[in-house]
Amino acid sequence: MDPTATLGEVLGRRGFGRRSLLKFAIAMTSSLALPPALAPVMAANLAKAKRRSVIWLSFQECTGCLETLLRSSSPSIEALIFDFISLDYQESLMAAAGADAERTLREAVSANKGEYLLAIDGSIPVKDGGVYSMTGGRSNLGMLTEIAADAKAVLAIGTCAAYGGIPKAYPNPTGAAGVEDLISGKPIVNIPGCPPLPEVLSGVLVHFISFGRLPELDELRRPLAYFGTTIHDQCYRRPFYDQGKFAKSFDDDGARQGWCLFELGCKGPVTHNACASLKWNGGTSFPIQSGHGCIGCSEPDFWDAGSFYTSLAGGSSAGWRNTGIALGVGVAGGLAAALSGRRKST
Amino acid sequence: MTDFSFLADDSLVDALLMEVAGLLRGLIDRDEGGSIDLRGLPLSPSCIETLDRCLGQGEISVVLDAAGRSEIRETSLPGVWWTKHADGAGRVVALLIEVAVTPGILRADVEDMKRGLDRLPTLVKVAR
Repeated sequence: MDPTATLGEVLGRRGFGRRSLLKFAIAMTSSLALPPALAPVMAANLAKAKRRSVIWLSFQECTGCLETLLRSSSPSIEALIFDFISLDYQESLMAAAGADAERTLREAVSANKGEYLLAIDGSIPVKDGGVYSMTGGRSNLGMLTEIAADAKAVLAIGTCAAYGGIPKAYPNPTGAAGVEDLISGKPIVNIPGCPPLPEVLSGVLVHFISFGRLPELDELRRPLAYFGTTIHDQCYRRPFYDQGKFAKSFDDDGARQGWCLFELGCKGPVTHNACASLKWNGGTSFPIQSGHGCIGCSEPDFWDAGSFYTSLAGGSSAGWRNTGIALGVGVAGGLAAALSGRRKST
Repeated sequence: MTDFSFLADDSLVDALLMEVAGLLRGLIDRDEGGSIDLRGLPLSPSCIETLDRCLGQGEISVVLDAAGRSEIRETSLPGVWWTKHADGAGRVVALLIEVAVTPGILRADVEDMKRGLDRLPTLVKVAR
């Protein structure tokens, strides 16, 4: 692909007209909770933009994040995202290996100095000099520090990269840490989840390419559009919570009628993510719709926060005890939060 | 598909119809329309069906084939459009109520028109 061509030119040559790009922008503004009126602006900016270099480093991880993100790409509209980025380095996907791979990384950094986006999945072990995860004889911490120095921004993809995740769980034998614990002076976006929703990464990338800046973030550096409300506020079972109708076990009559899973340990009320609205597998379902409570995987230290099956009201774990959650919150409050968080009109 | 019909959320339909009325008033008085992104709201399928039924069917239905199928139809309220965009796999990627004289996506783009004009000689040759 001609690196000097604009995205509009590239898409035009492939037979994609302005309507396709506008439609993509409409879908992305919807996903990003931006006002629909911004869709034509986004489409116009994308048409003028050039491909953005992305360097992706995998550290202490299970490859689940990469798997889920790859599954999103085809044949959905997000496939277009691959016209918008140049994935210049990703060890699991690229053909190069060994010295060739190391040269590829050096060349990608050099050619796009100060402009590339650095994507990280996996936590970074820092104990004992970081010896617990090495690539080509270099520690993850060393690679992160070096490559992040010339990055435009850093995307921490998945709960491990964002907050340390499961590798950081007690007793954290490798001294695992998240990106934000180790890097300063760079814009960092956390896209947590175990795994994260692929639409969130698409949305962050498109926002950055369209508007030249990262989307608005919450206090945990998560994109507000996707993490601004809790699973609970967006959950279709929420009316049952407000009515006090709870499943008491996974196979009782309440469970069969789709009642709220709060008493079975659902962490939806304290978990910020967009699973309940975007859902998984092309919008098919999400854990609560499948009959299991949310395990809170997009929150820091979720693995150490008590049993997945202990309710927030009765849990004995300190992590869940002080959440301020109480039964009987009115439906108006929840819906108002959801509506104000997501509704757009112009 | 899970049956969500047990949810009683008519109040949301009422609120959205009020918002549609406000947007339509703005379009009439100030030439300012707007859109409501239905996928961004905690609406059950039954609630969306109720809303669709309330707005009804108007005079115009358009099918757009651009990176997937889109259905754009005017509701029984002139200037209020029910717009559903799907991707190539048929997955709905946007569901909007648009309040506008004409949805913007229907307008032909100048660059697209130029490309079409460039293709015209070839089309003429092929036709002959």
